Amino acid sequence: MIPRTTACRGVPRALCQHAVRPAQRRGLASPASGSFQYQSGDAKGVKFASRDFAGPTTTLALVAKAGTRFQPLPGLTEGLASFAFKGTERRSTLRIVREAELLGAQLNAYHTRENLVLEARFLRDDLPYFVELFGEVVSSTKFLPYVFSEEVLTQVEFAHKRFLANTVDMALNSAHSLAFHRGLGTPTVSASSIAYTKYLDYDSVEYFSKIAYAKPNFAVVANGADHGELSKWVGEFFENAPAEPLDNKSVGSEQTKYYGGEERIAHSGRNAYVIAFPGSSSFTGKFYKPEIAVLASLLGGEASVKWSTGFSLLANAKASAGTQVITKSAIYSDAGLLHTTITGGAENVAATAKTAVELIQKIASGDIPKEIFQKARAQAKFRELEYGQDQRAALELTGAGLVHNTQPYQIDEVAKAIDGVTEAAVKSAAKSLLESKASVSAVGDLHALPYAEELGLKI
Amino acid sequence: MSAPSLAPYIIKRPWLRRWVQPLANWYVNAAGYRQLGLKADDILPEENDVVQLALKRLPPKEAYDRVYRLRRAFQCSVSHQLLPKEEWTKDEEDTPYLTVLIKEIETEMAEREDLEAMVVTKRQAKANAGK
Repeated sequence: MIPRTTACRGVPRALCQHAVRPAQRRGLASPASGSFQYQSGDAKGVKFASRDFAGPTTTLALVAKAGTRFQPLPGLTEGLASFAFKGTERRSTLRIVREAELLGAQLNAYHTRENLVLEARFLRDDLPYFVELFGEVVSSTKFLPYVFSEEVLTQVEFAHKRFLANTVDMALNSAHSLAFHRGLGTPTVSASSIAYTKYLDYDSVEYFSKIAYAKPNFAVVANGADHGELSKWVGEFFENAPAEPLDNKSVGSEQTKYYGGEERIAHSGRNAYVIAFPGSSSFTGKFYKPEIAVLASLLGGEASVKWSTGFSLLANAKASAGTQVITKSAIYSDAGLLHTTITGGAENVAATAKTAVELIQKIASGDIPKEIFQKARAQAKFRELEYGQDQRAALELTGAGLVHNTQPYQIDEVAKAIDGVTEAAVKSAAKSLLESKASVSAVGDLHALPYAEELGLKI
Repeated sequence: MSAPSLAPYIIKRPWLRRWVQPLANWYVNAAGYRQLGLKADDILPEENDVVQLALKRLPPKEAYDRVYRLRRAFQCSVSHQLLPKEEWTKDEEDTPYLTVLIKEIETEMAEREDLEAMVVTKRQAKANAGK
């Protein structure tokens, strides 16, 4: 006997497949992954997007413009993220957890520099339950003093302690704050206990929630849900969310400016050294420079094949096998940071940092074999496409795109832009890095770690 | 630790309340804690997890005031004296500041017990689909 539900569900799916097919007739090498083909809409002021991805599970995310960049006081983003899925007017914390467990779902809340993301993964049929849960979290979370002191504050303190022990995190956050000062430069976790002893409190978090969870400031994104159904439930369950932010002071929304500088922090843990330069904004931003991505993979430091050093310049030139080097181009909506992180023994880190600067000078003078350049370009393209296909990143990017009212992230065009990068463009990008001010941060044994000026960088 | 109480039953019936109220007033005065400046919630037995948690959840100001009242009462008791009459706890000051928290914690614990003892059944639609 054919169950009725299955018989009905087959029809829209068959229609969907039919509609999608022409797009998939491109050649195999085409980067049309489809991961960004979200349908977007607006239900009673709440922006949402969905992609009906055939499969038994759904990932639902609520992306709020409330990352550390946008917090009016230090620690609020962290506090709000920890208050997610805590007791609401209708349900207790315990009930939310137990119900989610019974449905076999996973709940998660995290934040980045620009966004606060609530995420739920569950079986396809449970969509209404989780949309309702998100609606409740947004509009009726109870910000109780004892929940704050018993559950939220402990998590914030743990994050702070973990941060103090992690020299790489310290160096990266320090480089960001040197580069961007306020806004994007705000550390992602409490860098000192001042944040949660002086500013963070249950009522300041409640105040921030009224801004972060106001309808213009968040978007609901679903992966693997029917668009019509999502639209219906979003319209029904987000009625109580505040229509306008409580306070229109828009902290952090001004254009980010690059400053640069140097910071040295003594630490008895692992040595970490970060050399950072102004980078590229995301594709949707105004300062998109594809050559920065190619430059990042050209400098590199990590191998993509196991048991080999790889092709990248830094991986071959680093002082010892135990020294770890990673070059990344961190992209944000209106600015970016190209940073090389070096960790390991102090002497090796110092030597590798010197080499890194020499390598950038070498790239600027055009001394790089064509073959390596081509490899770097291919890797940059692959990384970009892979990142775009990653479900989590795609959800956050799509949601952020909806909230910031920018153009959608078009993966095909990003790949094309990287393909169009020439050797000359990378050469001139490297030259401009050396001419601009660097952001250099050293954490660890300061006797051995060099000053930026000793490396020949402009500060 | 809230003990079973007839009070809600009586308060609902005004005629009964009119009879019992004077008796209650007499009892509260005779109990003697108000003459030491205490509130009724100050003398709840606190040697158990529920009340300990409730005490932790008190706002700092109320927790401070509670300790102050307890120490003052202890001092009075040691010196075999009562407070001057104007410092006795007034009727409107005798508020259940702790009982509210205790009840909340008890509902939380009862909910946990209920969830532990829950019997999970398949949703009807799914049960049918599986046949």
